[in-house]
Amino acid sequence: MDKFRELVGKAHSRRSFIAGAGAIGATSLILGCGGSTPKPTPIPTPAGITDADVLNFALNLEYLEAEFYLRAATGQGLSAADTGSSAGAVTGGSMVSFPTATLQQYAFEIAQDELNHVRFLRQALGSAAVSRPAIDLSNSFNGLAMAAGIGSTFNPFVDSNSFLVGAFVFEDVGVTAYHGAAGLLKDKNNLGAAAGIMAVEAYHAAEIRTLIVAGSIANPSAPYLDDANKVSALRATLGGGNETMLSATTIVAADSTNAIAFDRSTDQVLHIVYAARAGVATKGGFFPNGMNGTIKATAA
Amino acid sequence: MEINDKDKDMPRTETQIVDSIISNRRSLLRLGGSALAGLALAGIAKAQATISDTDILNFALNLEYLEAEYYTIATSGMTIDQLGVGITGTGTQGGVTIKNNSAASAIVPFATPAFQSYAQETAGEERKHVSFLRNALGMSAVAQPAVDLVNSFNGLAVAAGIGGSFDPFANEINFLLGSYVFEDVGVTAYHGAAGLITTPANLDAAAGILAVEAYHAGLIRTVLYGLDAANPSSGINATATKISQARAALDGTNNDDIGLGVVANSLGSASTVVNADANTIAFSRTTAQVLSIVYAGGTGSGGFFPAGLNGTIK
Repeated sequence: MDKFRELVGKAHSRRSFIAGAGAIGATSLILGCGGSTPKPTPIPTPAGITDADVLNFALNLEYLEAEFYLRAATGQGLSAADTGSSAGAVTGGSMVSFPTATLQQYAFEIAQDELNHVRFLRQALGSAAVSRPAIDLSNSFNGLAMAAGIGSTFNPFVDSNSFLVGAFVFEDVGVTAYHGAAGLLKDKNNLGAAAGIMAVEAYHAAEIRTLIVAGSIANPSAPYLDDANKVSALRATLGGGNETMLSATTIVAADSTNAIAFDRSTDQVLHIVYAARAGVATKGGFFPNGMNGTIKATAA
Repeated sequence: MEINDKDKDMPRTETQIVDSIISNRRSLLRLGGSALAGLALAGIAKAQATISDTDILNFALNLEYLEAEYYTIATSGMTIDQLGVGITGTGTQGGVTIKNNSAASAIVPFATPAFQSYAQETAGEERKHVSFLRNALGMSAVAQPAVDLVNSFNGLAVAAGIGGSFDPFANEINFLLGSYVFEDVGVTAYHGAAGLITTPANLDAAAGILAVEAYHAGLIRTVLYGLDAANPSSGINATATKISQARAALDGTNNDDIGLGVVANSLGSASTVVNADANTIAFSRTTAQVLSIVYAGGTGSGGFFPAGLNGTIK
């Protein structure tokens, strides 16, 4: 049954774009699954959702990223002015000791970027903005490390290489989430903003992937590239494939047949951030009490 | 044969209208006066009503030909058609102007294996974008227009104030800077196009290509920034910043392109790997602004496209 769904999913995803590409596209699809994980049927996001629902879904993810990067870069998370009136607690996260000024500069840049995304979305949503949900940056990474086969614990704040692996957990997911969301947005301005944030997440993703590969070249015996790929494999299991193994020849995460970035349904994204393999999940992983807003439960 | 080609190239009334809108908008944007903003916006609304998804995807295909030729020649010493990628189609097919008139002589002498890997990956991905768009467009796909990879970079170097000439194939640093010229433009072009596309499936594909261009841009900017940090006297960040400033000047805004360097943000001293606005949303360019950059300020042709783009948006 899973195999059947996978095949249908491939056919479905290939049908995208213009029908004239059909025959060639289908062939290259079947032949071209080597470098990337296959793409099963995305479970459609519930009908009738509004732009505010989608932007709030994104806001939950931006809260998570902002808390991760801000705590790593500065030791402090979002201030009360940026989290809404009924913000949940944040567990874990501490300032990383970066060995070089350059790595510190990267961390400050991305932390500021994610803070700006939180502020932008909160402003765009106005009174409809959800508050920050409870966020776990400690047990989440430990559970992820165990599920991915990295070890029984993982602290992304312990040093800069671990920080990069922690960052790796998020960025490619952000790209796929915004890519998937683009088709759900009805207002052209919202679409333009979401596409622009997606591009920034892709800049970040490439930066993190490039730095992990460079670290591996400089020190081949270090485990971080291997750890990142274990994370990638876990994300593929939880989030419907949509992954490209990281190496010096595969910095970009994209469909190997056409070099188009993957997209994920909100359901697939929820499975990843809740660390939920199958079945209905409403919380877990990075969001111990679930997300806030209307899109917060997996369908199956 | 020649008569058919002539027929194909003959502008239809609607494309003439679009051309005139685009050309008017470009001159308006060049003037840069806020008093003209209303007129320019009226032009955008009119253009949106006339431009089809095919027009937009063909516009993108022209840019992908350029990127694919640049990376493929740099890494393999061959043009994309020599590697089996189709370049035929509607409009006027053109060749590639390469240094010494020899693609083989343009292979970049990479000193760093990782940089060579990055270049080869990017080359493959840009070729896939060409093939994907050509397959998607079918019989409507435009031919590769004439592409200039010599005089274009020399002119850009002068305009950006980085010297009298610039050979991006001379060494790996120059190659990375040459790549820098393209990738952020690709991001802004696809971002700007997203709002013009009407079919959801086309939008999804364009968004996915946008993300890949942003991956490329993030890769190039990370590598260049790291090289400058390791060797601050290299002037790499300064050169990249001059390229950004030249692009911003060419598109008429002077404020939509962030170079490389250390800046103070609210948290501390930060890098500028991401090219984005004050909300950290990537910039967006209209097709007219993108044309102004790739034509190096020319009207209808120039810069990387000495005979202009093929298709209706040119």
